[in-house]
Amino acid sequence: MSGLFDQFKTWYENRHDYARDWKARKGGTVVATMCTYVPEEILMAAGMLPVRVLGAHEPQNVTEPHIFGMYCPFSRDSLAQGLLGRFDYAEGVTLSHSCIQYRQTFNSWKLHVPTVKWDYYLPMPNQVQSKFAKTLHRAEVAKFRTFIEGVVGKTVSDDALRGAVEIINENRRLLRQLFDYRKETNPRVTGTEALYASLTSQFVDKEEHNAELRRVLAEVEKRDNSREEGIRFMTIGSENDDLAFMAMVESVGATIVIDDQCSGTRYFWNEARIQDDVIATIADRYCERPACPTKDYPTHTRYEHVLKLAKDYNARGAIFLQQKFCDPHEGDYPDLKAHLEANDIPTLFLEFDMTNPIGPFRIRVEAFMETLREDELF
Amino acid sequence: MSIETTNSSAGEVKPEFWRWQENCWADESKDWRSAKVITVGIDVGSVSSQCVIVADGELYAYNSMRTGNNSPDSAANAFKGVELKTGLTLDDVHMVVGTGYGRVNVPFSHKAITEIACHARGANYMGGNSVRTILDMGGQDCKAIHCDDKGKVTNFLMNDKCAAGTGRGMEVISDLMQIPIAEIGARSFDVEEEPDAVSSICVVFAKSEALGLLKAGWSKNKVVAAYCQAMAERVVSLLERIGVEEGFFITGGIAKNPGVVKRIEKILGIQAVSTKIDSQIAGALGAALFAQTLVQKQGPCKPVALAA
Repeated sequence: MSGLFDQFKTWYENRHDYARDWKARKGGTVVATMCTYVPEEILMAAGMLPVRVLGAHEPQNVTEPHIFGMYCPFSRDSLAQGLLGRFDYAEGVTLSHSCIQYRQTFNSWKLHVPTVKWDYYLPMPNQVQSKFAKTLHRAEVAKFRTFIEGVVGKTVSDDALRGAVEIINENRRLLRQLFDYRKETNPRVTGTEALYASLTSQFVDKEEHNAELRRVLAEVEKRDNSREEGIRFMTIGSENDDLAFMAMVESVGATIVIDDQCSGTRYFWNEARIQDDVIATIADRYCERPACPTKDYPTHTRYEHVLKLAKDYNARGAIFLQQKFCDPHEGDYPDLKAHLEANDIPTLFLEFDMTNPIGPFRIRVEAFMETLREDELF
Repeated sequence: MSIETTNSSAGEVKPEFWRWQENCWADESKDWRSAKVITVGIDVGSVSSQCVIVADGELYAYNSMRTGNNSPDSAANAFKGVELKTGLTLDDVHMVVGTGYGRVNVPFSHKAITEIACHARGANYMGGNSVRTILDMGGQDCKAIHCDDKGKVTNFLMNDKCAAGTGRGMEVISDLMQIPIAEIGARSFDVEEEPDAVSSICVVFAKSEALGLLKAGWSKNKVVAAYCQAMAERVVSLLERIGVEEGFFITGGIAKNPGVVKRIEKILGIQAVSTKIDSQIAGALGAALFAQTLVQKQGPCKPVALAA
């Protein structure tokens, strides 16, 4: 990775320092957000900084009394960060409902993290395909707005909300422009670089992130396509911020060209459609975004969406990064695997834990690549 | 058979029941000097390291030994064994391919290929082109592989993060039971009644369970029978995830243990394809065969010196 993406890398590696610094500079409130279905527009319009809770990928011994053993490593790692005081700058914590495991993280967090002053659970419908879903969700987002107005002690105006929508939409648009470079042969943006950009957008002030994205996009245009792409991969799963894994894959003759993960495209893929009612503008966007498996029924919209991404970005194979015990994604896996393979996208399944064995994963990835290569060895 | 021993710091002589037979072999009916293409495969595994020499596409010689404390030395020592036996040096070799977990640390190799691909290619040579499903039971991991008639991998699965059902686990049980590892298979059948498998698949817990069974009055043979059964059930569960096709072949050190192999065959209802070649060299053999193909396609490589 060249220096062009260093600001994103620095933000990612020092994300707590960034949040503390933002708080000191802006005098605003930092809110720990759980799950990418949290309508950040409301928080931003109220002058708050939404900071998505991410794990640290290190062994910990603090979550056992608070969360079931068969809950996913991301829910455990996220809770550990709260219990270890890593988010002590965040006065609020909020979750928009998606999976039951992460809800336990939220419940334990609000009970046991002493620096939490307020919490909000936003009961977003999982059946977003229901004809009642948007009506319900608009009402819930409106309630959330009212709650946040109570926290800050002032009205969050429609104009402020429209301003937040505009800034966040620009962030989504810029990230898609950055990701578009990955469609190229020998892409000018690697998967590791793209992940740094999309992850940091989940906790950096969007205006600052937009400014950096604009700078990077101008420079990316000047890059050449000299890095051999090797085998083009897509990654599929829930959250993934294991940058060591990404770097390993891209060091053995491959490039990760696209993803269907909430740390990547699912977070920013669609902009909010501007409507007269700003709450509808905000709420509908989360119902219409590329679905996480928890919100993808009765019709499975994901399968075609994932396949289209794979085709549009010319992925030669797909790697499932399956968080251990993540039931929603495990439930989708057999059919999604079959769908991709029926459409000439071979797949590899890797089970992710809080810490991952890079060496054994490397063997699997390289062996998968050997199965995809032309018959040079035969 | 004789049991090797180690001397502890206190001067105590301790027999090493786990120590398997290292083996260096060359086909004395052939002369490598008359071969047009000579290639080497080096497999540095977590427990054992092998060097295989292929001359004009045919197995010519190999050396199989325990992996030392670092991969480069293990690779060099494996080659030196064959060098000593045959007189062949790296200057006579047209290409070296490294494989195994230490594949990127073979200082004199020209290319690294995963052991998954190499085991499939080696099994194709050893068992013939009807081999479709390969079970590699290595020192610290276990792989189920599907391949086509050329030995090209079409699908694979590896066990996750646990040495249960692998060679190292069998070594631990061998030492615990004080039964030479080469005798475990035969002795596991010398029981009046086939016991159920030990319940734990974890080597550490299985060891505790085995001790408990001994204290409960089980014979050593019965305990190793229960452990062999547990190992067979564990690897069969891996195989069932990928599916087993006819043309079933087992590679790796455990393939030499009939106590495990016969139990796997019984559970699956399939006979493994037999071979006269040492199953432990499959990875290195595959690597050498890949090197042979690469030399034919791309020409010979310049020799890389063996580390001092």
